[in-house]
Amino acid sequence: MNRNYIFLTLLMLVLAAGTVFLTMDDEPNQVDPEILLQEIIQPTRYVSTDQVAKMIIQGDPSLMLIDVRSEDDFQGYSLPRSVNIPLDSLLTADNLSYLGIPGTKVVFVSDDDIRADQMWVLTKRLGYKGTYVMRGGLNCWMQTIIEPEQPSDDASYADMETYSFRKGAQIYFTGAEEETSDGAKVEVQVQKREKTNVALGGC
Amino acid sequence: MHIHELNPWRTLIALSAFVVLLVVGFLTMQKPLMAYQLTMDESIKELTESELYFYPWDLEAVIAKETDTIILFDIRDRFVFGQGHIPGAENLSANDLTKEENIARLEELKEKGFTVVLYGEDELQGNGPLMLFRQVGFSNVKLLLGGYNYYFQHKDDLYSTVDDDGYLKGFARFDYADMAAPKEGALNSGAEKKEVQVQRREKTNVAAGGC
Repeated sequence: MNRNYIFLTLLMLVLAAGTVFLTMDDEPNQVDPEILLQEIIQPTRYVSTDQVAKMIIQGDPSLMLIDVRSEDDFQGYSLPRSVNIPLDSLLTADNLSYLGIPGTKVVFVSDDDIRADQMWVLTKRLGYKGTYVMRGGLNCWMQTIIEPEQPSDDASYADMETYSFRKGAQIYFTGAEEETSDGAKVEVQVQKREKTNVALGGC
Repeated sequence: MHIHELNPWRTLIALSAFVVLLVVGFLTMQKPLMAYQLTMDESIKELTESELYFYPWDLEAVIAKETDTIILFDIRDRFVFGQGHIPGAENLSANDLTKEENIARLEELKEKGFTVVLYGEDELQGNGPLMLFRQVGFSNVKLLLGGYNYYFQHKDDLYSTVDDDGYLKGFARFDYADMAAPKEGALNSGAEKKEVQVQRREKTNVAAGGC
């Protein structure tokens, strides 16, 4: 035969040898760091406690609450319809199956927003879409939904609207009796935290 | 009879051109700006390390220029930076973080042994960039706890923040279960305390599919 075939064979062998130098990559598919960084700097992933409360009350079927706190904390208190995926056990196939379902909005919840945000970054690196962070977390939930603060009399209309929604949500979530607006009955508002912008105060 | 058997030289030329093309392709392959240095597992583990963070009272030394290995980067946008920032901080607004020259700058600082402290409006703003930079191998990047807001409230007496926990995150500030329990005189509070509804890991994959 002729040289060319031998030459071609050798060439193929050399190229095949090149694959030896490829590194093994056991990691699941991941988003390019540059794209991830661009997503990270967008604040669109934050949802407020009011929005979450509204979705729960309306029974929004696309809402999926994922609590990233530890199992003990989760047993102690959790939002209705939430599932528990502690941050350190994210990477099990069982837990990952909650993510990336088309048409669902996954909202991460933690004590405040840092752990939830960390979870968000990690799932984003894995390429999951439709994930959000509840801004302020459960601490903010307590302050805004469970014990909403009454805005001052001269508060804006929007503040009053928010407050009345929160009072309704409070009844929904705690079963607390609605205060009768009786003149004689003066409800003592426990003001633990001073905030300037009461109802809309950001957590 | 094949064409190369008629003209072996031609085949050889074509083959050489092919090889040259491959080599050139490999050599000019664009190196990505950043690549993950930590696996997912390592990234999760790293989140529990305290060396990720820089405490507000440590700023005192930086502002007084007692250390020369720490550089502050303000990731808020230029306008807000102009209205006020921590003395000595440089502006590297979040929108510019992906720029090649800024990544190069971070690499240079890492080689020279500088510690880079990022800060945003609050801890949350800096959390994402911190995690990303850590994951792509900038082990010298830290995040200022509390962010600029906390610094601004306490800038006259940063040392006293040692005893404050106002900037700390990641723990419950209230007894949730107690707070959310039905109040006295609740409509539906029976004799027994209402159980907080705990729904555990119910698969909802089903919801995505049809009937």
